Amino acid sequence: MNGEPPLCTGYDHLMALTRRHFLGASALGLGGLALGSIFGTGTANSSVETQAPPGLGTLGSPHFPPRAKRVVYLFQAGGPSQFETLDPKPLLRERLGQELPDSVRQGQRLTGMSGNQATLLLAGSFAGFKNGAKVSDLLPHTAAIADDLCIVRTMFTEAINHDPAITFFCSGSQQAGRPSMGSWLSYGLGSMNANLPAFIVLVSKDAARDQPLYSRLWGPGFLPSEHQGVQFRAGKEPVLYLTNPEGVSPHARRSMLDALARLNSDQFAATHDPEVTARIAQAEMAYRMQTSVPDATDLSDEPGEVFELYGPSSRTPGTYAANCLLARRLIERGVRFIQLFHQGWDQHGDLPASISRQCLQTDQPSAALVRDLKRRGLLDDTLVVWGGEFGRTAYCQGKMTPNNYGRDHHPRCFSIWMAGGGIKPGTAWGTTDDFGYNVAENGVHVHDLHATILHLLGVDHERLTYRYQGRDFRLTDVFGKVVDGLLM
Amino acid sequence: MLRAATVFSLLHLLVGCDQRDHAATAATVSLLVPGQDALQSPPDFNREVRPILSDHCYRCHGPDASTRKRGLRLDSLEGAVLELRSGKRAIVPGDIESSEAAARIMSDDPGEVMPPPEMKHALTPAQRTVILDWIRAGAEYQPHWAFAMPAASPLPAIADVSWCRDPIDAFVLAKIEHEKLSPSPEADRAALLRRVSLALTGLPPTPDETDAFLADQSPHAYEAQIDRLLSSSKYGERMASDWLDVARFADTFGYQSDWDCRVWPWRDWLINALNSNLPYDRFVRDQIAGDLQPGATREQRIATAFNRLHRQTNEGGSIDEEFRQEYVSDRTQTFGTAFLGLTVECARCHDHKYDPISQTEYYSLGAFFGSIDEAGTYSYSTPSVPSPTVRLSTPEQDAELARLADAARKAEADLLAATEASKRECAPWLERARNIVVPSPVRRFPLEGTESSPSGTATLLDGDSGPSFTDVPPFRRCDALSLVFWMKSPDRKTRATIIHTSRFTIESDQQGYQVMLKDGHLCWEIIHSWPGSAAAIQSAEDFPVARWVHVAVTYDGSSRADGMHIWLDGKPATSQIVRDHLDGPTTARTFEVGHRDRDQGFKGGALADVQVFDRDLSRLEVLELLKPGSIESVRGQPIKPENARGVQELYARTVDERSQLAAKQLREARAAYQDLLESIPELMVMEESKYPRESFVLSRGQYDQPDRTRPVRADRAIDGVLQFEPTWPRDRSGLALWTTDPRNPLTARVAVNRLWSICFGRGIVPTLENFGLQGEAPTHPELLDTLAADFVRSGWDVKAMLRRIVLSATFRQSSNADPAKLAKDPENKLLARGPVIRLSAESLRDQALAASGLLVQKIGGPSVKPWQPPGLWGDAGASSQGDYAPDTGENAHRRSLYTYRKRTAPPPNMLAFDAGSREKCLARRQSTNTPLQPLVLLNDPVFFECARALADRAQRESGDDPRKQIVRAFRLLVSRPPRDTELQALVTLYDQQVTEMTADESAVKSVLASDRPDPRRAAMVLVCSTLLATDAAVTSR
Repeated sequence: MNGEPPLCTGYDHLMALTRRHFLGASALGLGGLALGSIFGTGTANSSVETQAPPGLGTLGSPHFPPRAKRVVYLFQAGGPSQFETLDPKPLLRERLGQELPDSVRQGQRLTGMSGNQATLLLAGSFAGFKNGAKVSDLLPHTAAIADDLCIVRTMFTEAINHDPAITFFCSGSQQAGRPSMGSWLSYGLGSMNANLPAFIVLVSKDAARDQPLYSRLWGPGFLPSEHQGVQFRAGKEPVLYLTNPEGVSPHARRSMLDALARLNSDQFAATHDPEVTARIAQAEMAYRMQTSVPDATDLSDEPGEVFELYGPSSRTPGTYAANCLLARRLIERGVRFIQLFHQGWDQHGDLPASISRQCLQTDQPSAALVRDLKRRGLLDDTLVVWGGEFGRTAYCQGKMTPNNYGRDHHPRCFSIWMAGGGIKPGTAWGTTDDFGYNVAENGVHVHDLHATILHLLGVDHERLTYRYQGRDFRLTDVFGKVVDGLLM
Repeated sequence: MLRAATVFSLLHLLVGCDQRDHAATAATVSLLVPGQDALQSPPDFNREVRPILSDHCYRCHGPDASTRKRGLRLDSLEGAVLELRSGKRAIVPGDIESSEAAARIMSDDPGEVMPPPEMKHALTPAQRTVILDWIRAGAEYQPHWAFAMPAASPLPAIADVSWCRDPIDAFVLAKIEHEKLSPSPEADRAALLRRVSLALTGLPPTPDETDAFLADQSPHAYEAQIDRLLSSSKYGERMASDWLDVARFADTFGYQSDWDCRVWPWRDWLINALNSNLPYDRFVRDQIAGDLQPGATREQRIATAFNRLHRQTNEGGSIDEEFRQEYVSDRTQTFGTAFLGLTVECARCHDHKYDPISQTEYYSLGAFFGSIDEAGTYSYSTPSVPSPTVRLSTPEQDAELARLADAARKAEADLLAATEASKRECAPWLERARNIVVPSPVRRFPLEGTESSPSGTATLLDGDSGPSFTDVPPFRRCDALSLVFWMKSPDRKTRATIIHTSRFTIESDQQGYQVMLKDGHLCWEIIHSWPGSAAAIQSAEDFPVARWVHVAVTYDGSSRADGMHIWLDGKPATSQIVRDHLDGPTTARTFEVGHRDRDQGFKGGALADVQVFDRDLSRLEVLELLKPGSIESVRGQPIKPENARGVQELYARTVDERSQLAAKQLREARAAYQDLLESIPELMVMEESKYPRESFVLSRGQYDQPDRTRPVRADRAIDGVLQFEPTWPRDRSGLALWTTDPRNPLTARVAVNRLWSICFGRGIVPTLENFGLQGEAPTHPELLDTLAADFVRSGWDVKAMLRRIVLSATFRQSSNADPAKLAKDPENKLLARGPVIRLSAESLRDQALAASGLLVQKIGGPSVKPWQPPGLWGDAGASSQGDYAPDTGENAHRRSLYTYRKRTAPPPNMLAFDAGSREKCLARRQSTNTPLQPLVLLNDPVFFECARALADRAQRESGDDPRKQIVRAFRLLVSRPPRDTELQALVTLYDQQVTEMTADESAVKSVLASDRPDPRRAAMVLVCSTLLATDAAVTSR
């Protein structure tokens, strides 16, 4: 990959063409259009010092050759239990119902939900791991692609409640108001696509709504708002305000935009203000989005075998499975960062039944996405990440019965998996103690994960900064180390 | 406005002589500003050197002692010239050769060079040169400009004196002339009126207003317009929009469940304060500490809600103290950004890396804001408003409340008198009494189990479960209540739930009454919302361990701690008051023994025979319950002195009819008072707690790591800004004095800079939020200081300052730039042309509503919900509060500052135009230009409805000629008639659409949202829709 030019996406060429085409075809003949915004950087805020070339991010080019060009982040919101998915702990079964030793807990804080329990009884996983498998029986499809996965068992975080923890995962800070991961990438690397946003968010409609999500998680924070994640929704209006008012035909809209361009070019002649020309360009972008977005979200041209690959619910728009499939289409169209959110993993009680449902819903589509990308040759430079905001406790929350138990939030160690995009396949990284309570070796902090993801994208996480309130902010704050062991 | 006039004395210096003696004036003022030759003068420390040192060196060699490397600090001359352990000096002024810093920044050796390569902050060659030149020239340090008190500057020398209308213009012109440019001509009048109307009211002028202005030939015509706009109530609404961002005002609590927080009454206070031109120092003082002002009015208390507008959580499992500390931090940081333009939050974990703010100072500031009686989580299971609060009663309600309170006081006095009178009767009664009724409970819970107690079987508790009853007798705080039970504690408990009536342990979820063990003490608590609204006592002694104790707790219905008692083994226990401020409903939801969800239960403890009484048991009755026959033993005998009180209480409470009647009447009087009081909505405000907490520096900012060796008190602010006077009160009112003291170098500067930015779209200091070392330098420092000094001298008169700014020649310039000027100064830093501002999210919609005639001009009230795409709240999973239900009728067309702001799902059409989520203080919005914006303007039904109404109105006001309609619509929206080319483009569009619409009947119906078969009107709607998206409408120029 070293020999390739920076931002070698295959889409640069297309994009350049498109831009030329637009400029050339424009009757206005205005030079130097700032195409910035959602599709690049460029901002009307004049105090931003770093003006990037149009269409590129603020960095202009990556710091070093990237291993991955795009990311699909399959966010499992609520905090999936590691014990029933990716981190087998036979000891918990052996010691089922026994008290968690103080020597393991080490006085670490618990949430207010189980922290006052009189007893903290160890709960072994009801789900098995066949013959030393890395992945549990609840995730057969994931297990089948284990050779492509790098399982990280030693993730750890700082927050123990959903809001701070998921905000931390998505933006590198528990505080509100920091840019989300995708916004940083949009800002730093820009878009590879002239007709779609650089950062797209898909929220499953079929998930159990145990804990809410919020637009902060894909918000731009203090970055210019064009870097915000754009949520694509199932239904007739995939992007808010994309559809013309009823009665306004595409043809009428074209006429309106022509008139608008005439009015604005007259305004430019009077004011010489380049913002006016940028406004003309943005209106044209909007027009093209009206075609390109439905084209991307309309799955009807997918062959039947693809739906079979992703599972039956992939035919229902808005499901996790349909979103996984849509993610692949967006990847093909050069979208930089796609983040899926699937709620329902917050299993304080009734965990066995509930996590079985979650796994059934997500296992096949998640694996299908990896398979689909792989067979299309896209996995090599697409990073796929699966995981939640924290893990769950080794002990039972609430009442434990022979067939039922729950688990509270646990930030000290939990598991995620990654695939493609320069990640070392077929591996499991890090070890946790026998109780699955603490990291035994090779812990990966959230900041480390962020640093590693940026690294794979060719970005030095210490050098992607934005000055706000007098400070140079980064996704990784002042922390984070690239975890070399995860890299191919 | 008279006051403002005196401020302009400086102006007389200039304008007063401009007709008579140009040359003399120019000569006079030119003496005041020595000519500068940029080539020969050394680098300016503040402008050129400090930014480099600050960015590249201070992280390790700055104010933060804890991370300072090699003991070297470069933020002061003393530090920089100190002899280091190596024997070298970093800086030897004037001597490059001896200055180690010079050698190190020039070094090629990666082990030597500064900054070290791993910092990834290498100096550029130009930066190195600046540092070397500066050392060579003597390494002069200057104090950071913003920390020195601003003083009015002498006017600079300028050539074109006649251009100036105000000293503002002299400062601006001096820079323009220095750059060999000239100011732009005055904007045409229509454009100027649009510009100033949008700046001051957020709305465009009506065509009538424009016509009147154009026709007014008086030399004061423009001034008259300014005065009209400033006195309009729309002014306060427009100015409020900006401050709502600063105050992080929203209608919901934020964080994940994000429920309604009902703080709009503060927003109405704000609009009123702005409209009444509350002087800025009072504006600041009331928001920081209105409650602590002498004779504080309710308005002043409402103002303090400013400090409660931060986000709050009620997420299950949240640790109360963690979030309470977050709230205190948010208040502290918002204070810093809003009033001081400082990023104090940097000092939360360590001394500030750049500004003179120590970590101790950060927590001292926090101590001012942390002294209220609040919980860290708001209630999940009750509707209580997070304490402290103020009730928002009407004057009628106030009068009625006063009457009812009087009645309750009188009833209480009556009861006292009756009880007193009954004392005389109780001795003869006791001697004659035949049968004395022993007390009987309203509920008795015989607890089952294998344990035995002095009164039957007992339940042994495991701490996680236990008896739970739902048939609880209703309880109001005006009701008397007693609980009696047997209890055995296995050990000294730090915390254990004995009996409670609430649902969760979360502090603010506790409601009703409860008996707890806390730190060994037995606690008896009546609670509306813990801790701010509760009456609570605890036993002075530790509760006995490992033996059965007969416990009685009693309450007299007074809502006061002195009406509560604890009895152990029949004897009154000495108790201490823990809380004594109960002022809300105390609904009991359950009755649980020995455990509570998410709380520590009574592990290993045992309880037996729990009885509930709807009376305030007398001591003799308590004794009777412990030892049946106790009452019988005193009957028919003269009263023994040790029994006197018991007998008197027993007689008054159970026998004497007059006393019992008086008690009944007192309960009714209290109930009537509470019925009304508790029906009145509350607002979160600030109020000093009577139960002060100790505050400490938190190590690394962690809530659970207070450094007990570093206690802090509310007795200092930021010494590097201004010393805290020893005579000032050690509370928020002292902090308000510190903030608004004329010697505070920041407050006035930050304020006038914000006003400037409102008019020009950019501050003199572009970083409105940061005046510290890392903020941007002012483009016109002398102007800023002069305005700041004048502002204080004017009595902090906000309207006068705005008036002055918009009257200046600088503001009045045309914003059109010739390409050469644009190339020379693309960001308009020199102000050689007028301001260009993209309208805010609020203004864009308000303008569309106003132009189309849909706008409903009503000030204040609950926030409103104009249409937004359906399902957004539900999509986010925030369904527990229902989905967004759009308002119909007039609330669909109110000004946008009233639009309901849900923090986790903000209105998407406003987000598209850079309105933030209001999750934290925001001093400056971005102004972006994105494809989502035309999509909103052209497709959002809210805007399309405006297009429809605008077409209707244009027809109504100009007749049937489409050209005239287009001109009218254009004027209504853009405040000027279209230019010929513009008109031609619109007419062409109209003609095309008439043709198309004529061929498509259903499109006509859809566009018009009616059955009217009027293709011409439909075509005009599309013309108006297009107009809404034009630069001329979207921008103030």
